[in-house]
This record gives sequence, structure tokens and C-alpha cells, in this order.
Amino acid sequence: MSVTTDSSNNDNAFQRFFRAKRGHSPFNRMLIHLALIISSIIAIYPVLRVLSVSLRPGDRLLSTSLAIIPSDATLNNYFVVITEKDFMLWLWNSLAITVSTAIIGVIFSSTSAYAFSRWRFPGRNTGMLFLLATQMIPAAMLMVPIYILAVKLGLLGTYRGLVIAYSVSSIPFSVWILKGYYDTIPRDLEEAALIDGANRITAFYRIILPLSTPALSVVFLFNFMQAWNDYLLARVLLANATEIWTWPLGLQALQGQFQTAWGQFAAASIMVMIPVVALFLYSSKYLISGLTAGGVKG
Amino acid sequence: MRKQILILSVLLLAVMMIAAQCGGGEAPAPEKEAPAPAAEEKAEEAAPAAEEMTITVWTKEGEADGGLPFLQSIADAYTAENPNVTLEIVNKDVEVLREDFQTAALAGNSPDLLFTVSDHAGPFTIAELIQPVEGLADLGQYVDSAVAAVKLDGKTWGVPASNGNHLMLLYNKDLVPEPPANTDELIAMAADLKGQDIIPLVFNQTEPFWMVPWLGGFGGSVFADDGVTPTLNTPEMAATLQFMHDIKFAEELIPAESDYDGSDTLFKEGKAAMIINGDWSVGGYTDTLGDKLGIARIPQVSATGNWPAPYTAGTFFMFPAELSGAKLDTAKDFVSFVTNEENQVKMVEELNRLPALKVALDDPAVTENDLLKGSADQMVVGVPMPTVLEMRCNWDSMKPELLAILSDTKAPEDAAAAMQTAADNCLLTLE
Amino acid sequence: MDSLTLDVVVRSISEVGGTVAFIVVGSIILELILFLIFKVILKSPHTLPIMLLGPAAFGMTVLIVYPLLWELNLSFTNMSLRRFGDKAQYTWIACQAKPENINFWLTDCLFKNYVDVFRLPVLKQVYFFPVFLRTVLWTFINMVFHLVGGTILAILLNQPIRGRGIYRTFLILPWAIPQVIAVLAWRGEFHFEYGFVNLMLVRLGLEQINWMTDPFWNFAAMCIVNIWLGIPFMMVILLGGLQSISSDYYEAAEIDGASGLQQFTNITIPLLRPVMTPAIVLGTIWTFNNFNVPFFINQFELETSDILVTALFRAAFQYNRYGFSAAFAFIIFIILLLYSIFYIWISDGLKEVYE
Repeated sequence: MSVTTDSSNNDNAFQRFFRAKRGHSPFNRMLIHLALIISSIIAIYPVLRVLSVSLRPGDRLLSTSLAIIPSDATLNNYFVVITEKDFMLWLWNSLAITVSTAIIGVIFSSTSAYAFSRWRFPGRNTGMLFLLATQMIPAAMLMVPIYILAVKLGLLGTYRGLVIAYSVSSIPFSVWILKGYYDTIPRDLEEAALIDGANRITAFYRIILPLSTPALSVVFLFNFMQAWNDYLLARVLLANATEIWTWPLGLQALQGQFQTAWGQFAAASIMVMIPVVALFLYSSKYLISGLTAGGVKG
Repeated sequence: MRKQILILSVLLLAVMMIAAQCGGGEAPAPEKEAPAPAAEEKAEEAAPAAEEMTITVWTKEGEADGGLPFLQSIADAYTAENPNVTLEIVNKDVEVLREDFQTAALAGNSPDLLFTVSDHAGPFTIAELIQPVEGLADLGQYVDSAVAAVKLDGKTWGVPASNGNHLMLLYNKDLVPEPPANTDELIAMAADLKGQDIIPLVFNQTEPFWMVPWLGGFGGSVFADDGVTPTLNTPEMAATLQFMHDIKFAEELIPAESDYDGSDTLFKEGKAAMIINGDWSVGGYTDTLGDKLGIARIPQVSATGNWPAPYTAGTFFMFPAELSGAKLDTAKDFVSFVTNEENQVKMVEELNRLPALKVALDDPAVTENDLLKGSADQMVVGVPMPTVLEMRCNWDSMKPELLAILSDTKAPEDAAAAMQTAADNCLLTLE
Repeated sequence: MDSLTLDVVVRSISEVGGTVAFIVVGSIILELILFLIFKVILKSPHTLPIMLLGPAAFGMTVLIVYPLLWELNLSFTNMSLRRFGDKAQYTWIACQAKPENINFWLTDCLFKNYVDVFRLPVLKQVYFFPVFLRTVLWTFINMVFHLVGGTILAILLNQPIRGRGIYRTFLILPWAIPQVIAVLAWRGEFHFEYGFVNLMLVRLGLEQINWMTDPFWNFAAMCIVNIWLGIPFMMVILLGGLQSISSDYYEAAEIDGASGLQQFTNITIPLLRPVMTPAIVLGTIWTFNNFNVPFFINQFELETSDILVTALFRAAFQYNRYGFSAAFAFIIFIILLLYSIFYIWISDGLKEVYE
């Protein structure tokens, strides 16, 4: 669980901690379960409602029934979305763009973060502050200039434009997370390797990266989520290229000025949730340690 | 585990590289979308008509009412006849289309044709983004009211493809055998319906688009005769607001809070007897209600004897200012193809919209369809929706005050005055 | 229509591969140039970190710095729909002011857009400061609930009970699903007639609430949705923090006879501070700049529910006040920047006290 090298020690400490000090009486345990169950229901209920809309025949967004599975449930909406729309194409495009974005983003931010973590070079603090500052730029503000830039560079309507834009926009957050994480890895480890004749890059590759798996997974996950869910950038950068539309653009087409095909919209929503949720669950064991280790130094 | 991931990613990368090599020739393909400004256009001007070309059409037509598939099918038919022309039909929601077209024009990268609502003519002409269509189509063959909807500064800025987009009264014949002729009848009918636990009337209470018909019924208009000066602080507006207030709080004709989807659902489920909605919704109601669906005019305002006047508009083709040469000719040809008699009749049958082409109005598909007859009858008393940019200020000023009236927090006279102030302030920001 | 065929798959893989190759080759060239400049010519001791940073810095310059400068330039112009586009009809706001009128020249010419943000309505009727205060209130309420909710859940999840993994999975879900979809789902739940919330209120024998038209309740609805969305992030961060606190502290405290509450305030809170500081800074910025929740929950476009970013969006795209909205955006940006510098400065100071 812990990031530092003596993780086995910590784990034991953990177990001791739980067994010895924090055993609960059955009544308290029941209360804890109750609280967690209620919270869980609140957390998943809206998703269940989306599921419910997707199973309703017709475009009935609304219903006074609170049943999750309607009595006249049908999978027709899923069928229509998959067979009659280009939904699978959109999903595929999203997947291709998202995965390559996440990989490239991880490569660039892992090296940059290493520079920030291990060297004191001129402009280092300004650089970190600048990275934080980019998080404060309202996204809508950059749309027009980015579009103009893409037109000038011939990146409009290409995978390339979108992948580059996503990779770059994910760098600041990734660097922050990774830099914090690298800071917790003792320098002695690399220095030992350097004495053994390895150079800086090998040391980084052989020692730092493997130790940083949790943080790297978190960064991968964040980049993936950001690219997967983005609508604004895709809208301006893909514009006319319907053959490489990502799913948020496709779903937008299901919404009209006044009318929306809610059943299909919901069915598609459920399907796009699956990859992210799966990835989230898979990496959740890293999520906790990867995100917080940067802040914990004692 | 880590090793596996590493190997996997290296493998993946290798596959991609190889694929990139093989597909190298294809890779830049999408760049044909990228701007190929002056040079390409010149080449096209000189080239013979059979040259390969791509026409990009941005449309507000979406999936929900079948508009997008319909346009796509027409485009496919056109491509079948003209194999050298590729038509890229791109859906953009109404507001998105406007924002994106402005952005694209800013970068000198407009699409080749727009298929959108009439009110976009206002902003687009002010920014000089579209060209007048006088020389591009024979406007005489289209219904006059449709052409009038996109007339600004003495020029016409769009070729109409459908006419209408107007509100009307749709009723459930099981619950209302005969539609009310005037508001007194409507109110009398309501008492009866409420007794059966049926909501008498629903409509989207959140948009002033649903209020302006009544304003017309009370003899008012949002602009003075010059068409650009807001006239919102008028006795007619106050009377309209009072009426909106009364049907909600005094007569309880309409539910407490109702947006588009809520009204739509209530009517589809048979819990509401009547709905005021646009021609785009007719198809959906025909699917759910079948023969039980009836269409009539929005009832006459008893106090004045006037018919409410919904805004009419329709869908229009607009030509970006930069379009010229062979592309313009092709775009022109495609527009006349979409609006020929055969395709207009097809549109009537598939989308239940009234055609913009005069001859199509005499087709049996229109004359023998009760629903369309009702829709056409409503349109007779409609007025073209203003397309000037100033209208945006009017919409935005009316909306919060309408909401205040419908939540019973403001007196009608105060709301009307507040509308006027807001509109006047808004006009200043348009400079 | 395009559909997913093997052809398409092969083509897109090759394009994606091409993109990756393009980026890799580009980076290598960039690295070589950097190496030549810094190592060979300048003989800089910082060559390696500069090379490590190179590709990211290059990308950020092109994609973030350039657009920012473009916006900065725009913020001094009079661009609007009437002076639009590459016809270059818009210019820096110029006016003839006498030299002695330097103040007038600053406020009504050079910085006119910036000053206008404060002296004209930013929306139809609402001025800057009410929107700003509402944004601060919005951020504050959300952060308090995120922290409290996140802490409670993290502590509950840190208890030795069965099924923690399953609970954690469910509780993370609001974070995992695409935000727009979650927000649209929630909007449905606040529907007057059909929404879950009002249906429950009726079943409990209470009055229905006008979630969409009543300014207070609409704001409340926005907060509820955003609290729901934001708790998992805090929960995960704090859970990580809790798990890293050694049990020795608690054992020692127990021996000293400290109560549970005392342990919480004297051990847990101070030791969580290092993980909380970055989380709070980021959380505040994200909440302050949250667009989806206030924009989509405020279906009726009540001006009383707009926060700064949604007001900015409306000014730019609905009213086409390009020059004005660029200035507006920079003001928001500067506010957040000052806040972050201030907060980091304060918390760094605190850190020294604790270390």
C-alpha cells in the first residue's frame, strides 16, 4: 500500500493497527455498514436511473415510476444505437485517440517531472507555478485561438491534432502528481546505481520508473479520462471529419434543438461508461497510493 | 505484471509503427479537410465540372426527429447522380452551429453550405459571413412567407427548404373531442378535464418562444415597425403576461413547473389533454398517439378576438461569403436538388414539415393529410420570426421575466418594464 | 454514413501509429537541437533537465502560451460581431485623449474592456461582483462539503470491516463516469413532475420544490450535484493519507488517555495536511472553474445561478463580445492565480511550523 521501500513493514503495521486497536463491536460495525450502504446507494443511484431510461421503450426520459427496471423493459435502444448509428465507430475513434494520448502524455510528463524533481535549474519554481496556472485557464477561453492554430498547422480534422492537443493539455496535472511522487523516492537509490556505472537515464528507467508504477497508473488514468470525456476540444478540432468523430460528438447529434432521443442517449451513455469505469476499478488499487504519496513525506 | 505491460506496450508501439509504414500513403488523407485556400479554389474554377470535389454541409438537423437521416438520404441520392461530388453532412446543434461557423470563418475555414434556422441570418449578415442568394436560386418558386423570413436589408440570405417551425395546438382526441376555438372555451373545458384528473394544457414554460404567440393574440409585437427597436414595455405585453399568470395560478390550466421534456412526456402519456408544440414534434406524437392526435390553431384570445400569432420560420440553406467558383455552382445545384418537387414531397411524407416550394403545396401528400392541413391552417395566422440580431436581446430579456411571472414573483407591469430595460441595455453591448 | 469496418480500423491504427511516430521523431529532432545548443555551444550544466523538459515545454508553448497571447491581444481590442474576423476590422481600442488625461486614456482606451468588466453588466442585468461573490460562495460550500464528506467516508472506509473494496468501488463511481452524463442524469432527478427528489418529497408528504425556476433551490441543486461529483476525489486522497499515518501515533495517544476526538484533531488532521494542501488547491480551482454543473443544471438560464466561467461563456459565445470576454477571462485567471500563490505561501509557512 505504501510507496516507500519498506512497504512490507508498513503493511504489517497496518494489520496490527486494525486488529489490535480498532476492533468494533457488532453494533458499531452495523452502523458503519449502514452508513456505507446509504452512501453507496446515493453514489450509484443516478447511474441506475440512466440505465432505467435506456431500457424504456420510446423516448420517455421521464416517468413517475421509481422502478429501475421498467415493466416494459427492452434492449431496443442499445440495438438501435449499435446497428443504426455509427456508435461503434465513435467508440473506436475515442479509444484509439484516448489510448495514444494517455501513452504519449505519460512519456512526456514522466521525464519532465523527473527534471523538476531532481534538478535545481533556473526557472524551476516559475515553471511549477506556470503548470499550476494552466489549470486555472477557463477552457472555453482557448478554443478560438487553438482552432486558428490547428487550421494554420493543417491539424484540423486529424487524429494527430487531437492527440497532440490532449497530450499537451494533460501535462501540467501529470507533472504535478509525478513530481510529488518522485520526491518521495530516496535519491540514494539512484546514486547507488550511478556509482555502479549507470548513467542518469538508465537510473531513471531502471529504478525510478518501476518504483513509480502507482503514480504512473494514476497519470495514465487521468489522461485517459480527460481525453475520453472531452467534448470542447474535439468539437473544434474534428469539425467536419465525421469519420473520426469521438463519442461525445456523436452523442451530441442525438440531441436536437428541442427534442432528444433520450432512450438512445441513455443507452449510449451506459456503454461509454463501461471502459472508464473498468479502467478505474482496475487501477483503483494504485489510485490511493499514487495520488497521495506526493504529499506524504513522513 | 509490470514486465507484461511493458512488453505489451512495446509490441503495440511496434505494430503501430509498422502499420504507419504500410498505411503511410493514406495517413495524410484527412488533411484534405484542412484549408487549401486560394490555390485550390482557383484550380477548381478553371477545371471542368466533373472534377472531384467535396462539399461540406453543416446542418442543425439531428437524429431525434429524423431530419439528419433524411438529409443524408437526399445527399446520397445526389451523389448517385453526380459521382464526382462527395457530400459531407455534419450535424451541429443549433447554437453550436452558430458558434462554430463564426469560429471557422475567423480562421478562414468555413464549410461550403449551411442548412439551418432562419434566425442565424441575423448574426451572419452582420459579421458578413454569408452571401445573398438572389442570383443563386429562383426565389419566385418558393412560398413568399418563407422567403420573407430571411429578408434583411432588402436582400434575401437563404433558400428555404421547409416552411413552418411554428407552434400549434396538438390535442388528444380521446380527451378533447373538439378543440377549443377561443380562450373562454379553453377555460371552460379545463374545469371538466381537471375533474378527470387530466392536465388541460401543457407547453414549454421556460422559453419565450411559447409566449410570443399570445403576445400576437393580444395585438402586440416585440419590435416597433422599424423591426429593430424593442417594444416590450407595452399594455399588450402586460396583458399577455397577466394571461400567462392567470392560466397558471387563477385557472390552473397548466402544471406548476414544466419544461419541454416534461410537457412532451405528459402529453405522450395521455396525462395532458392538449399541448402547444412545434411542427417538428408531430412525427413523434403520431407514433405514440396515432389517430388520436389532432391539430388545430392555438385558440383565439377572447378578450381581443385576435388569433395568437406563432412565429414561423423553417429551414434554410445559406451560402458562406467565401464560397465561389465550381464549389458554389455545385452547392447551388445541390440546393435546387433538395428543394425540387420530388424531394419536397418526400420531406413532407417523412418529416411532416410543410414544403417551401409552392407547387409541392398542391401535392396530395399535403392536401390529403389532416395533420398537415391543421399545421398549414395555423401558419396562416403566423408571423415570420424576426431574424435581426436585436432579436437575441429580446429573447434574453423576456426569458427571466417570463419565469418570474410563472413563479408568481413579479407583477406583469413591472416585468414588462424590466424586459424593456434589459433589452435596451443589451442593445448597447451589440456594438 | 461511415461505419466501423476492418478498413476503418486499419486506417485509424495506421494514423494513430503515424501520429505517435510523428511525435517521437519530432521529439528526437528537438532533443538533438537542444543538445547542440546547450551542451555543445553553451556548455550548460543544466543540459539534461532541459532535454527532459524539452518536448513538454515545446508543446505547452505552442498550445497554451500562444493561445494565451492571442487572447491577451484580443482583450485590448474592440472585436465583436460587427467587427469580425480576418477582415481585420477590429483594432486595439484607440481614442484621442490629451496627455493630461492619462487616467481617462487608461480606463477608456487601453484597458477599456478590463474596466468594463467591473462597470457594465457581465450578463444581461448582473454585474461582476455579485457573480464573483456567488462564485466564491459556490466554491466555499462545495469545498466544505467535499472535505467533510470525503473525510467521513475515508474514515469509514478505513475501518476494519468486511466488503471495504466493494464499498470503495461504488463510492468512487461518481468520479469515474463522464461528467456531462452524470450532470444530465441529475438534472432529470430535479424535474418538478418526474424527478426523484420531488417524487420522494411528495411521498414524505412534503411540498414539491421548484428546482429549476426558484433561484435559491436552483443554486442548491447545483451544489448538491457538484458535492456528489467531488466527494470521491477527496475521499480517495484522504483515504491515502489516513493509510499512511502510522499506528504508533494513535497507540501513544491512547496511552496518554486521549479521546477519539482529541486523536482526530491532534493527530489525524495535522498529519493529513500535506496531502490536503494540494488537493484543496486543485479542488478549489476545479470547482471555481467548473463549467458543466452550473451550465447544465441551470436549464432555465437563471442569471442567479451563473458563476464566473458560465458568465464568461455566455459573454463570449452568446453575446459575441469577444474583446470584452477575453478581458473577463484574464480577470478570472488572475484571481485564481493570486489565490493559489497566496494559499501555497500560507501553507508552506504552516508546513515549516510543523516540521
